[in-house]
Amino acid sequence: MEKTFNRSKTIQYFKRCLDLLPNNYTSNDTHRMTLTFFALSGLDLLGVLETEIPKERRDQWVNWIYAQQILPDENNPEINEKICGFRGSPFSGLPFNPNGSRVSNLPFDAANLAMTYTALACLLILGDDLSRVDRHAIINALKYLQKENGSFTQTYLGMECDMRFIYCACVISYILNDFSGINVEKAVDYIKKSQSYDYGVGQGPGEESHGGSTYCAISSLYLLNRLDEGLLSKNQTIFWLLSRQITGFQGRANKPPDTCYSFWIGASLKILDSFEFIDFKQNFDFLMETQTKYGGFSKWPEYPADVMHTYLGVAGLSLMKVPELQELDPVLNISFHAKERLKTSVIFNNN
Amino acid sequence: MASYFKANWDDLIPIPQDDGPEPLTPISYDKEYSEAMSYFRAVALKDERSERALDLTEKIIRHNPAHYTIWHYRQQILFSLEKDLYKELDFITDQVIDNPKNYQLWHHRQVVVEKLNDSSKELPFIKEILSSDSKNYHAWTYRQWIIKTYNLWDKELAFVDKLLDDDVRNNSAWNQRYFIIFFNSNEPSEELLAQEVQYGINKILLAPNNISPWNYVKGIIAKSKEQDISVLEGLCKELEEQSIISYHALGCLVDIYESRAKRGSIEDKNLGIKTCELLAEKHDNIRKKYWEYRKQVLI
Repeated sequence: MEKTFNRSKTIQYFKRCLDLLPNNYTSNDTHRMTLTFFALSGLDLLGVLETEIPKERRDQWVNWIYAQQILPDENNPEINEKICGFRGSPFSGLPFNPNGSRVSNLPFDAANLAMTYTALACLLILGDDLSRVDRHAIINALKYLQKENGSFTQTYLGMECDMRFIYCACVISYILNDFSGINVEKAVDYIKKSQSYDYGVGQGPGEESHGGSTYCAISSLYLLNRLDEGLLSKNQTIFWLLSRQITGFQGRANKPPDTCYSFWIGASLKILDSFEFIDFKQNFDFLMETQTKYGGFSKWPEYPADVMHTYLGVAGLSLMKVPELQELDPVLNISFHAKERLKTSVIFNNN
Repeated sequence: MASYFKANWDDLIPIPQDDGPEPLTPISYDKEYSEAMSYFRAVALKDERSERALDLTEKIIRHNPAHYTIWHYRQQILFSLEKDLYKELDFITDQVIDNPKNYQLWHHRQVVVEKLNDSSKELPFIKEILSSDSKNYHAWTYRQWIIKTYNLWDKELAFVDKLLDDDVRNNSAWNQRYFIIFFNSNEPSEELLAQEVQYGINKILLAPNNISPWNYVKGIIAKSKEQDISVLEGLCKELEEQSIISYHALGCLVDIYESRAKRGSIEDKNLGIKTCELLAEKHDNIRKKYWEYRKQVLI
């Protein structure tokens, strides 16, 4: 029997995640905001965020997101300018404050680029007008996170730097409508150098082509308006992407297919106007194999569901215009409906 | 556990996490993790760098090896107390074996090795991790960093040879091969590039539908002044004569026919169309729409 997408179980799965995640998510404690993003954007793609969640609760959630914002110190903004942006969760121990915090309790506390990106995306999804976002502080902090080679690191404390954080920096700059925090020439140079001999893109120069880093590179070039110049051969990159389809999509050559690449590779093809070349049926059938009995999607068939693969599975279905799913902007990875809200945001229009 | 905190942390008032009235995606923490984090907040507030704080970071890491703030704090403590960093490497090795895909752990190892300025244990360590997953992206990223930073290029080709003998489909190993040839400071000779093309062709003959050596050979040819795509055309024809079907060979022929058709060859145009049809209908059916598009371009 042909399997079908189970809408109601997927909705219940996301709602359970928003209420409480099981203990095995503890290793995601510092980046809880990304898990929040997967669950919220999931309900948004399903078109039920407003009907399933009462307004009062959504407003409280907006407050929770703002509580993770690190704002400049009032008396001396320079002392914490490098750490401004959003944390992933309230792990630093400050009292809850829906306006964010201007102090840091921990000597090793800092905002994180991936959390700032997903926090801004969540605010748009929840219909917030971004009026409490300190745009200047976030854009200013970006300057301290870009490396000499053009890549970005996720926090000022110093962590690995690679393609993922160029993408985060580009989406943040797009949402805040200000690219002055990015040295564009250096970022484009890094992306160019990270293209491999097979025309996929690695996390950095010399590294193996990978579906995730290729998505980050293509989306970044798109947002920087440098797609034509930045890809060494658009046609060859399209062929590399298409070659990843096995049934569903693999992330690298000779690896098994995995739910999340239906989004990472699918969205990359969509941006390059070549999504129509894929085999829809095989992609759909693979995703139905990773849909679990209890709701949610797993990485591989017969594995337990997790919130990231559930979201990216739904996003992959949305790219294929599966009925009753909102359409997804492949670059920002939020619904077009949520993206539209940018036009009414305080920040986007206040240049 | 309660007695541990009582015995060691009696002088501090733990600071609990304040998640507000309506938290998003809260996690059902273990009691030990919550308690350890509460003491961490209190001790980090004082920036205390002590044995007990070091011990506390270890307890937290065992629950959450991705806590980058804890790793950063641990580094400061290790360096302030001038701890034996070789012991720390052993600790990291154990942790990586349990969490081989954890970004923070690999980064922590890099910080410690930089501080020690001793890379002697690294290649054996990475080899051990690759032995259980020869395609671990983190391990390869780290390996490239070690090789570049400490100039350890000498034995790398032999290492990759062995991996490709074990598994000719290991694309990470093929990528590493390219890295060795083009990312060290010496420009590769044409003689070396010719050898590499031949190496790749020999591996294609072992498994003609393995995409990795096809991409590798094309990559080498693109960088070479003397090698060109006609080497691959010979190979494709050879496979055809032996009735071996390889959709990578057919795809490669489409590129070759198309380039000649553009220069006016009717024969190549027709061969290209025929090959696209074969790929679309039979040998690469999953990319049917793509090959039909390539056919339309030829027509």
